[in-house]
Amino acid sequence: MASFNFGDRISGRSVIGDTLHEMGGEHDNLFILTADTGLALKTFRNDFPERFIDVGIAEQNMVGVAAGLALEGNIPFIMGMIPFMTMRACEQIRTAVCYQNLPVRLIGTGGGLTSGGGSTHNAMEDIALMKSLVNMTVISIGDPQMIRDILLASWDYPGPMFIRLAQGKADRVLYQPGSQQFTIGKSIVARDGGDVTLFSHGEMVFHSINAALELEKKGIHARVVDMFSIKPIDQEAIVKAAEETRGIVVVEDHLTYGGLASSIADVLADQGVCPKAFKRMGIPQIYAGFGSGDALHAKYGYDTPNIISAVEKMLG
Amino acid sequence: MADQNEVKRLEKLAYTMRKQLIQLCCAYPGPVHIGGDLSMTDVLIALFHHGMKVNPLDIQDPNRDRFLLSKGHGAVCMYIAMALRGFFDFDKILETYGQVDSAYGMHPCKVQLPGVECSSGSLGQGLAMAVGMAISARHRGEGHRVFCMMGDGETCEGEIWEAAQTASSYHLGNLVGLVDRNKQFMTSYDGDFINLEPYADKWIAFGWRVIEVDGHDMNALVDVIDALPDSGDDKPTLLLCHTVKGKGVSFMEKNVGWHAGSLCEEDSKCALNDIESEYARNEGVE
Repeated sequence: MASFNFGDRISGRSVIGDTLHEMGGEHDNLFILTADTGLALKTFRNDFPERFIDVGIAEQNMVGVAAGLALEGNIPFIMGMIPFMTMRACEQIRTAVCYQNLPVRLIGTGGGLTSGGGSTHNAMEDIALMKSLVNMTVISIGDPQMIRDILLASWDYPGPMFIRLAQGKADRVLYQPGSQQFTIGKSIVARDGGDVTLFSHGEMVFHSINAALELEKKGIHARVVDMFSIKPIDQEAIVKAAEETRGIVVVEDHLTYGGLASSIADVLADQGVCPKAFKRMGIPQIYAGFGSGDALHAKYGYDTPNIISAVEKMLG
Repeated sequence: MADQNEVKRLEKLAYTMRKQLIQLCCAYPGPVHIGGDLSMTDVLIALFHHGMKVNPLDIQDPNRDRFLLSKGHGAVCMYIAMALRGFFDFDKILETYGQVDSAYGMHPCKVQLPGVECSSGSLGQGLAMAVGMAISARHRGEGHRVFCMMGDGETCEGEIWEAAQTASSYHLGNLVGLVDRNKQFMTSYDGDFINLEPYADKWIAFGWRVIEVDGHDMNALVDVIDALPDSGDDKPTLLLCHTVKGKGVSFMEKNVGWHAGSLCEEDSKCALNDIESEYARNEGVE
């Protein structure tokens, strides 16, 4: 197994390409569909051309074709850019896939503001939309090595699943290979601490861990929880954070309302648990525009330095 | 030339089905999409009772032909065509239609009603699913066909044309699209606002083989269905069925007010009278 250090960048798409190729060799009912975005899937395309369906730039149709394949007992994996897959085809995902409860897997690249394509290509509403759909499971992956485990786990997982990648191009390694268990419905305590809890997913887990490392130097012990399973959500981890630490900070590359922060707030309200403090960090009500992910995260105040100051402010 | 005994059998089934549609439209207090049901009655009878290999005793038979009702608001028409074929019980449909927990609702639900191939109701989505099913069949070397029934109005949806393009690009000769071309939409006639013509040319331009047929002429329907290209063909086929919305009921025919509605006792008697006289007239001609 290759060895990576925290923060190393590897391509999430190539992990997908390798993993789906391997799974496709084992399962003759695994199909891949793309809307003209399948370059990372070359080996699958070469070896299983009859199971690689490129429908052209036609996301609604892509989701419908996937539903038809699933109705016949196949497991279709759709790969595409998040905004077009989840918004252009939102109703197809809801009606053709979720209503019929079909095992379609939607893999979206370019999470949050990482796409570089500007507001048309930014993915800031996808989690809000996808988690609202009945039967849908929602996963947001930070560490690209995790993609393989999630794809393997998705094989016999019931119903539809949306898998959001941090970027897809140059995702940051978070964990030593094999050091974590990824169970859908559970979270990962990336770093333990008793002063404050940082909940995040995707790209923001990297920033949260970085912030925790810096805070440690100042004597603040931050717990970092990777909430890669957004739906179903790890309620226990949320309640524990509220009870055991002095505040909750949720950091996500998504609108601050409607995503993970809202799910966490829902759990706290439903369980009747009141955190000592609660702070949302993410995309405000704005179309964020152009720039690299790192530059935009800094501009809108949810990168590593901003997390550090938010925690310091919260703990007073 | 179609076997005349077979044509007569199918015509009688279509006659029975029209009467059952009227019976349900009268019994159910809410609106029934009777106009579009009556326009595709003959086509669905020709498919479920003649053209398609289906087996009500084994709804999972991998060799069965698949039927997807893209125009989901025509659910009642499909339920009755299938009931007459032995899939469902008409009395149960009549008794429970549209009620809480009934499997028989305004739009078909695959989860609630096994035997139905897909859920529909949101227009324009059936053809893409049919494409997926046709790709799957071809990959597995299965020889059955996938039939997808569309309303002409719903082909205003872009997804239909995206799927049409995929079907021809992937050479899905096992896919048969049908359009219920009654030239009426929910609130207007074709041409009032949107003009669908030149309709056949559009499908041809998208790489389909188009066969036009009178959707109320059972002889013609049997002939074109019998002459469908082999499922191993390299081109999808569209059966462009020219129909009349509300067919068989004088006050409903081509009446935009009868996209959906419910019938009082008196009107249902008139409707049944129309259907009975037309059937008697046709039988007399033979």
